[in-house]
Amino acid sequence: MRFDIRPGVRRLLRFSIRTRAAMKRDADDELEALIACRVDHLIARGMSADDARAEAIRRLGAPLDEVRHQLHTNADQRERRMRVVEFVESVMEDVRYAARGLARRPAFTAVAVLTLAIGVGATTAIFSAVNVLILRPLPYARPNELMKVSVVLPAEGARPSLTLGFAYPTYTTLREGQRSFSDFAAYALAPQLTLTSGDVERVDGEYVSASYLRTLGLAPERGRDFDRSLDAHAGAPHEAIISYALWQRRFNADPSIIGRAIDIDREPWTIIGVGPREFRGLSGQADVFLPVATTAASLPGPGMHLVSVVARRAPGVTALRATDEMSALGARLANEFRNPMGKLASEVHVSALDALRIDPLVKRSLLVLFGAAWLVLGIACVNVANLLLGRASARRREIAVRVAIGAGRGRLVRLFLVESLMLALLGGIASAAVAWIGAHVLASVDPTTVFRGTSRGDATIGAVAFSSIALDWRALAFAMSTSLVVGLFFGLAPALGATRASLSDALKSDRTAAGAGVGRRTLVVAEIALALVLLVGSGLMLRTVAKLLSVDVGFDKSNVLTFSLTPPPGSIADDSMPGFYSRILDRVRAVPGIADAALGSCGPFVPTCRLTSLWRPDAPVPDQVYTGMEVVTPNWFSVMHVRLVRGRPFSPTDHSGGPSVVLLNESAAKTFFGADDPIGQRISVGRSVKDAEVIGIVGSVRQLPDSAPGPITYVPATQSPPEEMIVFVRTMSNAATVASALRLAVREVAPQRSMYDMQTMTQRQGVATAKNRFRAMLLTAFALAALLLAAIGLYGVLSFAVTARTREIGIRIALGAERASVQRLVIGEGLALVGVGVVIGLAGAFAGARLLRTFLFDLTPSDPVTYAAIIVVLGVTAVLASWVPALRASRVDPVIALRAE
Amino acid sequence: MPMLRGTLDPLVLKTVSWSPMHAFEITNWIEERSDGRVQIDDAALLQALHRLEDRGYLAGEWGVTENARRAKYYSLTAAGRAYLRTEAARLVDHLDAIVSILSAKTSTPRG
Repeated sequence: MRFDIRPGVRRLLRFSIRTRAAMKRDADDELEALIACRVDHLIARGMSADDARAEAIRRLGAPLDEVRHQLHTNADQRERRMRVVEFVESVMEDVRYAARGLARRPAFTAVAVLTLAIGVGATTAIFSAVNVLILRPLPYARPNELMKVSVVLPAEGARPSLTLGFAYPTYTTLREGQRSFSDFAAYALAPQLTLTSGDVERVDGEYVSASYLRTLGLAPERGRDFDRSLDAHAGAPHEAIISYALWQRRFNADPSIIGRAIDIDREPWTIIGVGPREFRGLSGQADVFLPVATTAASLPGPGMHLVSVVARRAPGVTALRATDEMSALGARLANEFRNPMGKLASEVHVSALDALRIDPLVKRSLLVLFGAAWLVLGIACVNVANLLLGRASARRREIAVRVAIGAGRGRLVRLFLVESLMLALLGGIASAAVAWIGAHVLASVDPTTVFRGTSRGDATIGAVAFSSIALDWRALAFAMSTSLVVGLFFGLAPALGATRASLSDALKSDRTAAGAGVGRRTLVVAEIALALVLLVGSGLMLRTVAKLLSVDVGFDKSNVLTFSLTPPPGSIADDSMPGFYSRILDRVRAVPGIADAALGSCGPFVPTCRLTSLWRPDAPVPDQVYTGMEVVTPNWFSVMHVRLVRGRPFSPTDHSGGPSVVLLNESAAKTFFGADDPIGQRISVGRSVKDAEVIGIVGSVRQLPDSAPGPITYVPATQSPPEEMIVFVRTMSNAATVASALRLAVREVAPQRSMYDMQTMTQRQGVATAKNRFRAMLLTAFALAALLLAAIGLYGVLSFAVTARTREIGIRIALGAERASVQRLVIGEGLALVGVGVVIGLAGAFAGARLLRTFLFDLTPSDPVTYAAIIVVLGVTAVLASWVPALRASRVDPVIALRAE
Repeated sequence: MPMLRGTLDPLVLKTVSWSPMHAFEITNWIEERSDGRVQIDDAALLQALHRLEDRGYLAGEWGVTENARRAKYYSLTAAGRAYLRTEAARLVDHLDAIVSILSAKTSTPRG
């Protein structure tokens, strides 16, 4: 008698679990057998039967009952252990079975996983952005108490309402007068500070009141905060707090940093503290914090609204009361805000800091994208449901066979669920990867280039930065759980449905499966409708970008290179065209490949242009008083190819000693003179240009691609030289190619590091349209994902229909139908589905596109070109997606198709 | 004489390594091989067999004896063979050490 069955074989062969009673019986049998064998043995040795029995019992080593009991207990324990092992093994079995099944159909698996990855991954990435930028509380103590106080100039004529900061003296007056706030801090951006002592570097900073960090509930990471008494009088000691980031980057986190000296804008400062981690000021870009009191004297007085105010409401003070108090104070201070015309009404507004955390346009963009992501997720769910439904239907026979050989329904449902869960798990992992990449892309969106730049005045804070977007465990959990829920939910329905089918039905024919197709068709129609909505959105955005890039900006933007220059102190005399800039221009013009170079204090696509007021001494006050003012060299217009409309250009005779002259652009001429002829008229602009003669009118230049050109007054550089100038270089070929030669040339004549921000005009335009491109890019990505998913869905439904109707198609072909007509049948079915989807989608798109109205440039939300193009794209996609199933249908061999039954 | 701790399992495994046996064959074989010097309590043997089967060192299967009785035959598995090899080596080494201690000649006579 030889048995060589290895352990586990029983389990492997899926013998049923032995019951507890059976195991006890076995133990009893074995005990009896052992005793019997020994009795036989002893009797064979000549012992009497009774003696042999007694001896055998003695050899047990313990009373028979006790032994039996012990063996039973052991058997129980083993059985319990086995049961667990058995369960785990059966689940493992299902997992292995599911894995094999998924591996056997790599296309199905890949499509399902990819679908989940796109849908869930995109939603997760956008979710993390929305979480950081909109949902998460501001990273300050009790952030709901923090308020921003600003000056609002109500809309006036053509000018929209403006939100501004305060003049420093106004801030101090308000601070002394108010009772609603426990802290009342000021900060003002100090852009482009030059750090010397060591590598020369330009950083942004903030001038802050001593209470700044305390107001936000923050404390320096190292060292100390500013002394509270600092604000009391001007001329505070030169003490600086540097950002944690700067400390890490520039000083390698040197622990002995406190007390070190640092040269900022060529003046010595002492570092007294390192700011909190992740804190770059409310501007979101500061690396150095300097007490505002040190420079208060040099901060411009009334009229220059540079100081932003953040304040913490005192305990028990409601936001409403704080607002009322500030409005009352503001009314008393109205004189502070008069411009030279004495014309401007102003109000003091208080708003929750949290409401200003992000540019409202950015917020709306993000919410639109979040909505788009949910649409894609919806489509992805539909697709996964469709795929699983299709797979379940295709397996009806297999299921029926399993039921026939005795598989329980619970077991079958579990098998299906394990498969869906495995898919979901794979999808979860893949979507985490997609989300990770997406979050990185979003985080790399440089807020200073994309979302700052055009935001005007004091309306928002920059503290909530895109760069802080990252996937945290919450987002990953979101991705995983969404994926699992989708898998479970959409896996359970087909599992229950497929296993419910009556045995005989399924074994007899596939035809019942065709009935289930109605649900799937509905799902595909929904997918196409959703995809159309997204495609229209992205189409409108793409058209907007195209229009922005091709809009007539009023000058020739190709082959222009620009860079900024900070002259060394004292190099510019107040009364003459400075020698510093003459030297630069001469050197630049000598560089090969350069046609000419000009200077301008500002220019198109430069976000920091000043607005100032313009008035005619001899005329009544107009509704509109604001104009841009740009100081330019006479050749600026020829370098930029800006045409002279009438009058004469600046000439070398317009020097500092001569009579003041200005040029107006067409917009300014129309705004301030209407039908009158401005040439020869006298105007005053801002504080520096008094009673100047208008000598000519030049073409209008767009300052930003998406806004109509505003009024600009040009002043000759010889008569009003500013400190900082931008150099505009007209090159003979591609501007980017001469950049390095130009950089070297300027270095010969300019002091170290005085040159910065070198960009071609095309690059500047790119930056100026970055927001639009960002929106277009993301929406297009979503729309393409939706289109791809819808195509997959359509393909799935059609190929399923073809499989289900193989017999019918076989009969048609057998009866003489041409292959082409069979193809048309399938493609026609696809197009019919697309048609229904398009009709529904159009309704959705019309409604949805209205949300995008503010993002559009020179387009209506119902732009017919976009809609037509999108419908064509969808149609072509539909034909392509139907093509493969159609080909397969036309290749059905009637003999095989009919025999299959 | 009681069994030394840890010796029962290797003995049982060694025994069934010759051929599959049922419980009585195992105990009888051990007894005969040791000329009756090693006697195992049957209760202990059964528990050892069940334990070894549960761990996967033995595979048990019901069969019929020469005397036409139903009995459970145990055979050694691959895992059991490996376990036997290491346990036997350990045990032999251990016993060798004990033997060398006990058989050491007293080198310094008393008094």
